Amino acid sequence: MSAAAPVAAQIAPITAGYTPVDKDERGFWSEVEELERNIKTSAFVIRDPALNGYVRGTFCRIVGASECAPIRIYIVRTADFNASMYPTGMMIINSGLLLRMRDEAQLAAILGHEFTHYTHRHQIQIFRDVKRKANAAAWLSMIPVGGLAAAAALSVAQLGMAASIFTFSRGMESEADAVSVPLMARAGYDPGQAWRVWEQLRAEQDATAIARNAKSRKDKNGGIFGSHPPTAERLATLKTLAAAQPAGGSDERAAYVAAVRPWWPKLVDDQIKLNDFGGTEFVLGKLAETGWTADLLYARGELYRTRGRPDDLTQAAGFYRSATAMPDTPAEAWRGLGLVELRAGRVVEGQAALANYLKARPDATDRSMIEMMAEEVS
Amino acid sequence: MKKIMVFLASAALVATPALAYKLVTHGQRVAVAKSAMTIAPPIDWNRQQSRPGRNAEAWTLDGMPLNEVTFYGGIAADQTLFKEVNKKEKPLPRFAAGMLPTDVVQMFEASYRLAGGSALFSVDGVEPATFASNRGFRFRYSFTLEGEEVKRLGEATGAIVGGKLWMITYEAPAIHYFDRNLADYRALVASAQLPGPTVTVG
Amino acid sequence: MGRSRLFIALAVLLTCASLPGQAEIKADTSFRFPADKPVKIIVFRPDVKVGSMGVGTVEEPNADWTAAARTKLAAQIDAHQKGGGNEVIFLADQEGENAQVVADYQALFRTVAAAITQHKMAPGAGLPTKKNKFDWTLGPGATKLGEIGGGDYALFVSTHDAYGTAGRKVMQLLFAGMFGGYMPAGIHASYAALVDLKTGNIVWFNVDPASGGDVRTDEGATKRVEQLFTQFPLREGQAAPSAEPAPKK
Repeated sequence: MSAAAPVAAQIAPITAGYTPVDKDERGFWSEVEELERNIKTSAFVIRDPALNGYVRGTFCRIVGASECAPIRIYIVRTADFNASMYPTGMMIINSGLLLRMRDEAQLAAILGHEFTHYTHRHQIQIFRDVKRKANAAAWLSMIPVGGLAAAAALSVAQLGMAASIFTFSRGMESEADAVSVPLMARAGYDPGQAWRVWEQLRAEQDATAIARNAKSRKDKNGGIFGSHPPTAERLATLKTLAAAQPAGGSDERAAYVAAVRPWWPKLVDDQIKLNDFGGTEFVLGKLAETGWTADLLYARGELYRTRGRPDDLTQAAGFYRSATAMPDTPAEAWRGLGLVELRAGRVVEGQAALANYLKARPDATDRSMIEMMAEEVS
Repeated sequence: MKKIMVFLASAALVATPALAYKLVTHGQRVAVAKSAMTIAPPIDWNRQQSRPGRNAEAWTLDGMPLNEVTFYGGIAADQTLFKEVNKKEKPLPRFAAGMLPTDVVQMFEASYRLAGGSALFSVDGVEPATFASNRGFRFRYSFTLEGEEVKRLGEATGAIVGGKLWMITYEAPAIHYFDRNLADYRALVASAQLPGPTVTVG
Repeated sequence: MGRSRLFIALAVLLTCASLPGQAEIKADTSFRFPADKPVKIIVFRPDVKVGSMGVGTVEEPNADWTAAARTKLAAQIDAHQKGGGNEVIFLADQEGENAQVVADYQALFRTVAAAITQHKMAPGAGLPTKKNKFDWTLGPGATKLGEIGGGDYALFVSTHDAYGTAGRKVMQLLFAGMFGGYMPAGIHASYAALVDLKTGNIVWFNVDPASGGDVRTDEGATKRVEQLFTQFPLREGQAAPSAEPAPKK
């Protein structure tokens, strides 16, 4: 949907202390400023200083201290993968993004890409584009149509226009990629993580669709896929861009895993409760490429237990058992194991597992219910 | 971008017909949720005429956003709690007869998260309870919907009887409303009756 | 969870805006300000949005118009209340815990306002148990707002204006001519509510879906405030003005 997109080069990039002059851009800014006012007290914002400090640190490392200073980053508790940068310098990152990144370089790739949309003022160009297209759509709907075929053709044209409204043009995506990949290399990150992150997100869309027996929406889904479609062509360009950078660069995986770890149980729980079996299975598998940890096994057990088909429960039991055999198992793995054993009629094993859970979590909020269920089946 | 999208989306909502409400008179036993479950409300309530789901019904005192009681009248295997919101991309979980009470809580939570588009949902306590003379469960929860920012508390009481889920839930803003009408909700739960031989669930 | 709820908050003003209707005032008619002591009203930062609307119904915010309207409306609210003998305090932006309390109550207020609009103003959605009652409240915890702002009452004001562009006006004529349909020239909706902070009760609520007065000008803002504050509560013993309805635009 890049037809009739404005040419990115027509507008001057943002400079330090930039304030908008044009009427429409000022109006747009005032709306976003109002939005930021509300976000400041929003229940959805994760205010943990350590996590915020880490994300901000990554952002500052890729864009540089002076560019970083005026930007406000808000991490919001939303399971879907998304990040957005507003023209005023406000950036919003969904917690679902943090679950999906495998390392700091991948996070940096997204942050650098979003930042380029900001510095090159792509949002105001889209805003102007929206206005023009929506007005055109309204005029189109005025044309009296004869016959169903003509009506159908018209609505297809209108739908096409509606779909393109919030999409960055191909030119803007190329620009954001072309600027951000060298930024990654300059900051010492492996620039190859830029294409990997988009590739794994594309594959996740396929996985979601296959499990739901539906057509993949990787090229048209909402969120970041709607605004940044990661087409095959874009991936190829990203690979070329990375190859042009000097070899080396780190992915900083250990630092990333350590920073996200305190939030990981919540993030993965949010994902499992999306009822997206295929996508979640893919995300877990991707994170487990370097080995199944107790956390990942527990999460996979929860995923299978939640779907709850008969063979899912058997599989879940296996994952929980593997998790509980590890020294750093989450106590909730005993809970999951106990519940699937009870459902399978293995009462003694179930009771033993639940007892382990309650021993590790004496103040569990579901304690009395768990105790009752363990008793009742006996 | 967000505000523009909200604006475009809401343009479609204006055309939605207003939802009508009917009086539920106190002191009379009524069947709810097109099911065999009956309730004898001690005070008058307002019943929303459009149902949240095929086997569900909603009542309020001051308006749905301020206090809402929902009756689930025998959700059968493979059914969702309420109407699908976006079946293609956000399908709701389905009830299964073999579910344990903890599985019901989990299904409820996922349904709310999906329908409300919010990850701010937590279960704050699950315990055994009696429901319409059956062994059942009770749980409390809290959630916030995006774009609204009102923190709500909720309580649910129910049981699986004859392979079906029977449940009554209540939710209201944490400020003032939840505490004010909690007893009114519990009185409805206490009056709930299911016909036929009592089935003990295990 | 009623699916309806998810949309109500969004739809409130829009629903009003879509119906070319009359102002609707709902109030606890027994409420009067005390006669014997000064009345201090805290005004929460008004929701003010002014922009233009093109043919495609895409609203375009206008920063200058919004800023002008915010200033002018505040001045007129102040003058109008002073005229009634009341003192107004514009609540400053709060920090930390107070900011959260204010935000929480603003969110609750919007929800209660949505319930009132839905059940008292929309035809066919009235609640049978509240037929002859107006007893909505934020609860007694609202006294906290009084402590933060230093007043006994809270005033919430919201205005939303989108002026039709020239293109839209042409379109409007065409629409009427070709299809006999109605297409609003723009949006001019506003509402205001008064909360008694001792009880948290909403004692006065006015929704004006077709507000008069161009809020971008001094005269217009005066007119808007006068219309919006029609039948604002009086003091004990004060006689109501003549029963004639306030002049509409």
